[in-house]
Amino acid sequence: MIGLSKKEENIMKLKKFAALLLAGAMTLSMAACGTGGSGDGSGASGAGTGGSSNNTSSEASGGASGGSSNAVSMENAECTLEMWCIATESDSNRHSYEAAIDEMKTEYPNITLDWEAFENQSYKTKIKAAVAADEMPDIFFTWSCAFLGDFVASNKVYCLDDAYQEYKSELPEVMMGNSTYDGKHYGVPLTMNIVGLFANMDLLKEAGYDEIPGTYDEFIKCCDALKEKDIIPFGCAGSETWCVTEYLESVIEKSIGADAMNDIFLGRATWNNPEVAAAVDTFQSMVNNGYFDPNGISLSNDEVKANFMAGKYAFYMNGTWNCADFANDANFFPKVKVAEFPVINSDKAELGQLIGGPSDTLAVAASSENAAIAAKYTFELGKRICHYGYLDGCGLPAWTPYGDTSSVNALTQDVANICNAAKAYVLFGDTAMNADEANTYLDYVAQVYGCKVDGQGFIDGLTKDIR
Amino acid sequence: MKNKTYKYVTVFLFLLPALILFIGVLIAPIVMSLVYSLFDLRSVSTEGMEFIGLGNYKELFTSGSISFWKALGNSMLLAVLSVFIQLPLALGLALMLGKGIKGERAFLSIYFLPVLISTVVIGQLWRKIYNPDYGILNAVVGSGLMPQGGWLGNESSALWCVFIPTLWQYVGYHMLLMYAGVRSVSPELREAAKLDGATDGQVDWYIVIPSIKPILRVSVIFAITGSLKSFDLIYVLTNGGPYHATEVPSTLMISMLFERNRYGMGSTIAVLMIALCFAFAIIINAVFKERDIYGKK
Amino acid sequence: MARNNDGRLLDQYQVRKTNKFLRGMIYVGLVIWALIDLFPIYWMFTFSLKSNEEVYGLNVMGLPKEWLWSNYSTAMTTGNMPQYFVNSLIVTVATIVISLIAALMATYAITRIVWKGSSLMNSFFMLGITIPIHASIVPIFITLSKLHMTNSYWSLIIPYSAFSLAMAILICTGFMNEIPRDLDEAAYIDGCGLWQTFGMIIVPLMKPALATISIYTFLQCWNELMFANVFISKDALKTLPVGIQALSGRHTTDWGPIGAALVIATFPVLIAYVFMSKSIQESFIAGAVKG
Repeated sequence: MIGLSKKEENIMKLKKFAALLLAGAMTLSMAACGTGGSGDGSGASGAGTGGSSNNTSSEASGGASGGSSNAVSMENAECTLEMWCIATESDSNRHSYEAAIDEMKTEYPNITLDWEAFENQSYKTKIKAAVAADEMPDIFFTWSCAFLGDFVASNKVYCLDDAYQEYKSELPEVMMGNSTYDGKHYGVPLTMNIVGLFANMDLLKEAGYDEIPGTYDEFIKCCDALKEKDIIPFGCAGSETWCVTEYLESVIEKSIGADAMNDIFLGRATWNNPEVAAAVDTFQSMVNNGYFDPNGISLSNDEVKANFMAGKYAFYMNGTWNCADFANDANFFPKVKVAEFPVINSDKAELGQLIGGPSDTLAVAASSENAAIAAKYTFELGKRICHYGYLDGCGLPAWTPYGDTSSVNALTQDVANICNAAKAYVLFGDTAMNADEANTYLDYVAQVYGCKVDGQGFIDGLTKDIR
Repeated sequence: MKNKTYKYVTVFLFLLPALILFIGVLIAPIVMSLVYSLFDLRSVSTEGMEFIGLGNYKELFTSGSISFWKALGNSMLLAVLSVFIQLPLALGLALMLGKGIKGERAFLSIYFLPVLISTVVIGQLWRKIYNPDYGILNAVVGSGLMPQGGWLGNESSALWCVFIPTLWQYVGYHMLLMYAGVRSVSPELREAAKLDGATDGQVDWYIVIPSIKPILRVSVIFAITGSLKSFDLIYVLTNGGPYHATEVPSTLMISMLFERNRYGMGSTIAVLMIALCFAFAIIINAVFKERDIYGKK
Repeated sequence: MARNNDGRLLDQYQVRKTNKFLRGMIYVGLVIWALIDLFPIYWMFTFSLKSNEEVYGLNVMGLPKEWLWSNYSTAMTTGNMPQYFVNSLIVTVATIVISLIAALMATYAITRIVWKGSSLMNSFFMLGITIPIHASIVPIFITLSKLHMTNSYWSLIIPYSAFSLAMAILICTGFMNEIPRDLDEAAYIDGCGLWQTFGMIIVPLMKPALATISIYTFLQCWNELMFANVFISKDALKTLPVGIQALSGRHTTDWGPIGAALVIATFPVLIAYVFMSKSIQESFIAGAVKG
């Protein structure tokens, strides 16, 4: 190892990771929203199947070359494509979009891309309105699973099966799972993220720990030791309930196991499950033991994150997209480590069961005049956005990494190693469910965090309000 | 000379712009809201929406995660606080200023100043004032007094913390209305009362306040309907949290629409809000009328 | 004694008999409330010029030690504040003009022309005072979405005009009732039709109403967040409230630029107010008294 520079070491690691990711990805089970017997999804896309394929191919023939995408060549097609996304100036993904689009411009000068970025929350309204009114741009950003599923069910999304054939080797089938409905592919994934347990190692050292504890008992002991030293174990933005779910979902998953959780999230099983109630009680006992910053309830996630980086909390559980921001802070970066949440009930759950998965997705409108070209363009663009996003530390690549990726920060690489060992993924609850159910769910999560309801009340309420 | 038809056509033409705006933007949407509230409408596309009768109303009042009762109670509470804290404070200031004090104009101008500031600015500013770590309120009263969870994060303090900026902004508004009333009370009447040996307090109580009753009525209507409509400040400060402690119907409506895509349910809340506003307007008018009758006896 | 009746609403009356102690107490009360009003504004101004270190503890209340004007350039560049300001101005002015024209015409028809149903019509418009603007957002949103009219100035101007209308008619009625009816008759004898009477006699006499209506409409539109937030997603069209919301979302932990944005949004209005405070107050009062 002496002969190797740090950089070369990193390259080696990454090559290994890439190979592993590919190999592992093929075998691991990932929850696919629309596939299988998922109640809501399959019903909806089932209804649309026949119409969907006919519809899309006829749309395509109106555009370029009669449905057979092999005849479509991006090199000599002259056209303008319109794209909407959420990579606004302040979004951490902005740079990867800009870099990818610049590259596309030089490589395909014949295709002009008009793109526009909207603020996240208002975009959700905007794209839904546009879909309802058949006013979609050719290419649009979407979240996978339930969000895209609604559009697919109403036959508004172009099926990408033909275009995907060319990219099979670069984009593992399993990564397409969250945008696959009834066996058909409708989305190009960009980066993927999981929930990570970030730790400030300086504070852990003060409590006598050199590593993030690997078992749940040790972990709880560590929290108590931190409290002894007047260090707040967890930072969590209570005013943004999705931040609470980052903790709660990990606790539930490590108590009841990934398969049971996927069944519930995707509507294959009801919430009426006493094991969930027990897991929620476990989480609530952490709240009641004072492991969470009480002031977090009125703070936004950005403020909590800033507090974590300023050394106010020992742990911060949140999406791995934070790696980029942590890496950019030279003071803080050496202190931070990332790990997986420990297993609570080893009969049901095991290490390698993670929360997260590919959600950021690009899709093509069925109404696009150049749908076949847009489909190919979207794959090419998605590959590049993924590439640059990965280099920036915005998340892990859904595509097989290419080129020199040695500049990826060490934290993101650690996340990559966690993903290498992944056995199953459960997508974030609020992405997996449709908007109404997701908000009902978030509301009950907030009630749990505020100790308004206990585990039993949580499952009772959800069983009653979600049908 | 000019026949009736001509007159009515002219009247109609004069009314036309106002009628188009009024019916197009107010009346028609209210009728549409009423219709939508009976449907399970989940996207902007209204084709194929499902008729569910009073289903939305039923769900609204029974759901464990929507908490409409809480929102209703909060807006009532805000209305009560406005009438019984904000208006007396405004009246007090108006009466004090009405005594003809040096610097009257300067005070008047300062009090009215917050009215002109955008509510979003005020919300953002007070967010900073309440900040649990670096806010000015902690620096002023000492952080020891801060409730657990922070000023805006504690369920029992949050509603008060939302009310105080409203108070801060609108006291000037009501004060100016009342001040105008106080000023229009005839000086002769006041002087006469004073010569008869009435104290300042008695003059205010027996002469000034009764004579500005019409303005008080306007203030009460504005304060109450204003509380029922309140949105901006709460949206900016807490967005209804923590745990719906500051939820009001309008914030609930917006989250129904744009977080849950429940357009039918959003319309249901809108319909109930309109009903509530009208109910209050009628009650206020009745209360003031009744007083008039007693006054005349 | 104080009987210099110059007919103004303000500056009329002085009570000399108030005793000294009470006078002192009154001053104390007035000054305290004035300080409560001013202090947050002062504090906003100071933290707009501070670094986070100063805000976070070194110097919470005082004037900034180092005047960081760079906060303002950050707010200007990342937040596009001047654009938001112009947008708010366009929307507000257009709303004032439209609601004013519609209100003048409607009020004329209701108060100056004798016809059956005029008082009913008046009550009909007065419904608008009580109806909350939020009540119509769903149908308007759905309609605008279908017409692809969101993200335009009109998507704000039209609803704002409609919702300002009731108040404008109320105020107009108060002012118009004060114009002597003899004028109409004289004009009629001179051979003026209703339109000429309206355009050449009534409208010029309604100038004072203009200021009053503008102020009430301004207060309603300048602040409006809900419609603007929902209907406008393009950065170039955002009004001040939406722009500030977006900006503070972006800089939650960076107090300086937020403070700067708040100041930029506030001070032009406050400066205008300083110069016109008396006439603004008088117009505002006129609205309440006549309405």
